[in-house]
Amino acid sequence: MKLTIFNGSPRGEDSNSTILIEQFLTGYNRINSDNVSINYISKSKLEKERKEIFRNADIILIFFPLYTDCMPGIVKNFFEDIFELKINKSKKIGFIVQSGFPESIHSTFVERYLNKFTQRLKCEYLGTVIKGGVEGIKIMPPVMTKKLFSRFQDLGEYFAKNESFSPEIKKKLLKPYKMNFGRKIMFFIFSKTGMANFYWNSNLKKNNAFAKRFNKPFVE
Amino acid sequence: MKITILNGDMKKGESHFSDYLNNMTDKLRENHSVDLFHLNKMNLSYCIGCWSCWWKIPGRCAIKDDADEIFKSVINSDFVIFASPLMAGFTSSCLKKITDRLIVLLHPYIELRNGESHHKKRYDKYPDFGLLLEKEKDTDDEDLNIIKDIYDRFAINFHSQIKYMKLIDYDKFEDIIYETNNI
Repeated sequence: MKLTIFNGSPRGEDSNSTILIEQFLTGYNRINSDNVSINYISKSKLEKERKEIFRNADIILIFFPLYTDCMPGIVKNFFEDIFELKINKSKKIGFIVQSGFPESIHSTFVERYLNKFTQRLKCEYLGTVIKGGVEGIKIMPPVMTKKLFSRFQDLGEYFAKNESFSPEIKKKLLKPYKMNFGRKIMFFIFSKTGMANFYWNSNLKKNNAFAKRFNKPFVE
Repeated sequence: MKITILNGDMKKGESHFSDYLNNMTDKLRENHSVDLFHLNKMNLSYCIGCWSCWWKIPGRCAIKDDADEIFKSVINSDFVIFASPLMAGFTSSCLKKITDRLIVLLHPYIELRNGESHHKKRYDKYPDFGLLLEKEKDTDDEDLNIIKDIYDRFAINFHSQIKYMKLIDYDKFEDIIYETNNI
């Protein structure tokens, strides 16, 4: 089988989606050493080529971050492009949606769209893997990303063997679906101690923007 | 009241959908102040996820294009209509392009609402939303439910609510005007 990946992050190569793809492929390559084509939807020069790449692909995985509860605009634009194609060969398509929100419920609504869209294309839907809490993984110490990375490696390995997502790993990645009691308590303590917004505050301070954080520039 | 209409129609040349919105705007202007933006005719870029709006120049977007006038109109409106012909089962990429960039109007800080994480308000007041769509040949009830649910979620994150979802090829023009007048 020939795997084609589309990276739908507007941040392109320097994105959390890239990190997840790398981890996925580490596991995938344990089984299958074929070259995997990786295509960045954000690269404008790809705009003309991407339809052809999609047309010629057999098995396609599309990774993207959740933007305002849905796919980013560039990914929607890509979907409009491929929807125009007359696809005459059966394809399998799967999706990996990641978000900064810790709980996965936010990404479950777009999943229904992705399923329906794949049916519209008359392709086989391989499912959608959802993972929350991904923002900041680039700067996290390895101890914090170890479990996430190992799960994505296992997801890739399973995919290479079965051409499908492991239901078990998918279920693990989906957690937490919503904030449970323990997480709510933790959030309460974090917000009282200023830890809840540590990531935002440290970046605001780094950019000398902390004092302006509540600015309302567009109010009339 | 103040109304913003975001027209996501991507058709070049004559378009029934854009004509419809022009007529609707004229009618609504009898009672309201209305800003109509034909997004495809503006200089607008996609959000690049740089988060300058959250941690470098809080509340402002780093991309220099026509989006500022939309941000200003939206946040000072009482009602915003997201209008688009459906394409590949969802609103157009042109409408999604500006929707993504509306995060400039939110604050990065997180709060728990109904046991879920959401971004805090940046402004004191947010407009309510309406959805105005045109079906594709194969649009069915499931598509419409999916779209409504996704926009409902977006509204929650935006401290807003969806007041209506209307189809220009199904709902009567007079009814849409009446409902908008009575938001």
